[in-house]
Amino acid sequence: MQYTIRRLFSLIPVMLIVSIIVFLIVHLTPGNPAYLILGEDSSQESIEQLEIQLGLDKPLVIQFFSWLGNVLTGDLGQSVYSSEPVSQIIIDHLGPTFSLMVIALVLTLLIAIPTAIFVVWKRNTVLDPTFISISLLGVSIPEFWFAMLLVLCFGVAIPIFPVAGYIPFAEGALNWFYHLILPAFVLAAVEIGLVARMLRDGMLESVNQDYTRTAKAKGLKERIVLIKHVFFNALIPTTTVIGTTVAGLLGGTVIIETMFTIPGIGQLLIDSIYRRDYPVIQGVILFIAAVYVLVNLLVDLLYAVLDPRIRYD
Amino acid sequence: MNFKKYKKLSFTVIALILLVGLIGCGSESSGSNADTTDGQSSSEPTKGGTLNVAYGSEPDTIDWMYTGASATRDVGWHIFESLFALDNDYKIRPMIAESYEISDDRTVYTIKLREGVTFHDGSEVTAHDAVASIERWRQVSSVGTIADKYIENVTANDDYTIEIELSAVYEALLSDMSAPKSALMIIPSEIAEEAGEQPLKPEQLIGTGPYKFEKWERGEEINLIRFDDYAAREETDWGGLSGKKEAYVDEIKFQIVKDPQVMVNGLKTGIYDYAQSISPDLYDVIESTPNIDPATYINGYATITPDKSEAPFDDLKVRQALNHALDKETIAEATYGNEAFYTLDGALFSPEQKELYSEEGTDEFLAYNKEKAKHLLAESDYNGEPIQIMYSNDNDNYKKISQIAKQQMEEVGFTVELVSYEWATYLEKWADPKNWDLVVIGWSTRFSPNELGMLIQDTSSSGWYNSDHWNDLLDDWATAETNEQKQEVLGGMNRTVYDELPFIKIANEILFDIKSDKIKDYDSWVGPRFWNIWKDE
Repeated sequence: MQYTIRRLFSLIPVMLIVSIIVFLIVHLTPGNPAYLILGEDSSQESIEQLEIQLGLDKPLVIQFFSWLGNVLTGDLGQSVYSSEPVSQIIIDHLGPTFSLMVIALVLTLLIAIPTAIFVVWKRNTVLDPTFISISLLGVSIPEFWFAMLLVLCFGVAIPIFPVAGYIPFAEGALNWFYHLILPAFVLAAVEIGLVARMLRDGMLESVNQDYTRTAKAKGLKERIVLIKHVFFNALIPTTTVIGTTVAGLLGGTVIIETMFTIPGIGQLLIDSIYRRDYPVIQGVILFIAAVYVLVNLLVDLLYAVLDPRIRYD
Repeated sequence: MNFKKYKKLSFTVIALILLVGLIGCGSESSGSNADTTDGQSSSEPTKGGTLNVAYGSEPDTIDWMYTGASATRDVGWHIFESLFALDNDYKIRPMIAESYEISDDRTVYTIKLREGVTFHDGSEVTAHDAVASIERWRQVSSVGTIADKYIENVTANDDYTIEIELSAVYEALLSDMSAPKSALMIIPSEIAEEAGEQPLKPEQLIGTGPYKFEKWERGEEINLIRFDDYAAREETDWGGLSGKKEAYVDEIKFQIVKDPQVMVNGLKTGIYDYAQSISPDLYDVIESTPNIDPATYINGYATITPDKSEAPFDDLKVRQALNHALDKETIAEATYGNEAFYTLDGALFSPEQKELYSEEGTDEFLAYNKEKAKHLLAESDYNGEPIQIMYSNDNDNYKKISQIAKQQMEEVGFTVELVSYEWATYLEKWADPKNWDLVVIGWSTRFSPNELGMLIQDTSSSGWYNSDHWNDLLDDWATAETNEQKQEVLGGMNRTVYDELPFIKIANEILFDIKSDKIKDYDSWVGPRFWNIWKDE
């Protein structure tokens, strides 16, 4: 418990550094929302007027501290375009991204774990090199390319899945799942390869350990040895990978959501960057950073659950 | 069992099989879904259905008076209407107005409104709403602020008559009032007063058009539904934004779709019925796809604008040398490829805009002459200092034009550098003459000489153009009453542009949308309009 609290406090400097970097990158990138809002034949006076209205005329340091002050009180500011509060905008876009990540993660675990166990079980057959090539392919295929291929195959040539779009869960779970299966699979492809490889390597390592031999010598069945002794011991490094997977999925949604027209956080981020909607960009990146850091913390805490030998206090 | 030997081999073989499988699957896409019906089952328009429109860019606002942006306009003109509107030939027709009279000294306009036109909130359009809308238009619209200089007073004479009093003769008033950019749309007076100079909020989007605003989920879609109490006009042959409008489809959904490939795939599989602004590269693919038709429309022209505030292009000779150095036929062909996507015409307006088009004074448009260019350049003060051509890399066309122009300019002795930025950065760089010598940019179709952004005096958009001659012509335009007088001014405008070369026109652009063949009676104009069309399902 004490450890958890200590870790939570250590998040503060991390988030502070993230916020400074985000703010600087966003504001030092050339381009200005005032020009974008008013268009190409706008007058200099109207641009200056709008800059004052948006608070962009003040020095960067002052802008930063007033933004930071607001963030500390939970106010992420409001969109330059729609004047909606940024926190509300993020919440509105959370559903699709969260759905996509959950399905992708479930797919990842559902495919990666049984595959890895099966491959280790049949470790001395042609299955193993096959598995390595496929997982290597999964890891190396660029997401956007794989997405395009899948859409062409299963959306256009053999139209079993929709090529784009998103249906909220509330409007029908089946339809929701049906629209997300293709993008979620693309998103999962990389992670499946990664998790399965990690699990396989970990399991192969413990296959040769003394305790495995002992278990076999006891007369336990191969299947039971594999699952009870080999699999669970390989779970620690795999958990780390799954932790980064969650973060990786969040990053991957940026591309996948744009390609499948899913109105989530990723698409929001891309749109806001093109429009230089500073408060939204800052809010979204800060949010992603917070999720990343929290997931890492969660993984660390999970170690103790998975392996009773690990104690933090 | 020794698999070691085969390990490497099977590795490669499996990888190859997988790759071939994936690619093979990708290339069999065409022609496999050709078995849809021909769509000639019925020719009588039927009501009903939802029209799914894949739209490439999300508007910042749907307030069609506040901005002239195409994304705003294309949604806005389904919801709003103005007193006067342009027909298919860009001729001015009454819309909410019934008739008008102009006093003998041509400074008082008396406009009678149609009775029984209702807003989407159920109230009737009265002269007070029209007056309040005009007042707001004078403040916020880029067109209205120009007309404002001539407008003395706007009053409601009775419930259905308004009177506009001018301070001087201004013959362009009706044309400004019907311009479909930053339009004089009629909204309820309370809303006009409440909104003032701010853009209308979603709940304030109340107009008189055949469709009414339903909801807007930012980043996703904008929904419009049929307005059942719409007061349609009678005229069926006017077209454009005027005449009879009938809403056949129940609902229009403008869905924000960024990826053009998604648009094409979505149309093929029936998710969308219409998709906006497709890359010309896909034209041949579309032509050979059975259930998708192309829809093309004019979209202004591409230009090269010199920065006239600084050397070397402050010198007319250098600008003339530039005009002679550019082989526009080659540039257009290499940039747009298919002749369906460009026309070579030197005038300030499109030939389709019959009221505004004049071919007078455009002889110097195609003036490619390398020797003359070299000669002019030698006579000028230009000594080979590098010239920066700036363009936005978001648009492939402007990139190609810049590259070819560079090559052609170097052939006559210019030293040229290309600089490209992403759109937001580009807009900011544009504002400062230090950042560029030439910009390559397209201007969408304009509807009045007052709206030509590349000629607005002393701004970055015109490259700091200052010309008394041009200002005189704008004054002449304000007082030109008859068609002949107008034609004369328009010819003079063309001539001035080629005499002074504030910008160099490359070619008229034609944009390309795609639509499903389920959409019937679609008629191309300057942008997509979804009334008078119906869906055959």
